[in-house]
Amino acid sequence: MGLFDAIDVTGSGLSAERLRMDVTAENLANAQTTKDASGQPYRRKEVVLQQAGTSSSFGTVLQNAMGGTSAVRGVQVAGIVQDSTPLKRIYDPGHPDADKNGYVTMPNVNTVTEMTDLISSSRAYEADVTAMQTAKQMFTKTLDILR
Amino acid sequence: MELFDTTQTGLERALSGSALRQEAIASNIANVNTPGYRRQDVDFQSALQAAWGEGRSAVEAVSPAVSVDPTAAVRQDGSSVDIDVESAAQSKNGLQYEAITTVLKTRNAILRSAIGIN
Repeated sequence: MGLFDAIDVTGSGLSAERLRMDVTAENLANAQTTKDASGQPYRRKEVVLQQAGTSSSFGTVLQNAMGGTSAVRGVQVAGIVQDSTPLKRIYDPGHPDADKNGYVTMPNVNTVTEMTDLISSSRAYEADVTAMQTAKQMFTKTLDILR
Repeated sequence: MELFDTTQTGLERALSGSALRQEAIASNIANVNTPGYRRQDVDFQSALQAAWGEGRSAVEAVSPAVSVDPTAAVRQDGSSVDIDVESAAQSKNGLQYEAITTVLKTRNAILRSAIGIN
């Protein structure tokens, strides 16, 4: 049934955007973390999203390339990857993790990037909520036909 | 007069097409941040309009399907979802759905009163 599928699909969007917000929060919380569990400075993490259930099989790729009807699916998290951009080095001789020249290696977290990511996922979350409300209203209207 | 005529069948087809369209829009919104995602849409209106004049069986044969929208502009990350386009499409589709259900409800009320059920 279409409308229930629509609700499931938006549900997948909600959980994906929530995870993005969680990861952004983790990045922000660790913006000053110079030592993680393995003794290395924290590296920012990023969520990679992909269309749910997309398979790279020849048949699916061909069907999509031919503009065929691909079934409606939601979104899923392909993985959480570490950002490999270089870590920042700042001069702070008083820091316990400073090297012999007085430099400390800091995480590659940019607060501005994290804030824009946060706004982006929050807006997408809102859009998903609206989509779910619309599907619910439509379903209620269907039931209303019988009354 | 048939009890369930072309109009009734057509309205039912339109309802299921509109429901499928909501599903496609929901998928687009869920994938707003998915790189490489191409927006999907359901075009049942044109097929339904063409079939309407050909009678009930033609209308019944209209089967709405999801397809990738080739006209949508592609973003830098390869996605062709524009959240404003989706929101507008969603409002429009929701209102259309509501209009169809209202017409169906009214027709049912007329039928009921003709049969003698309150």
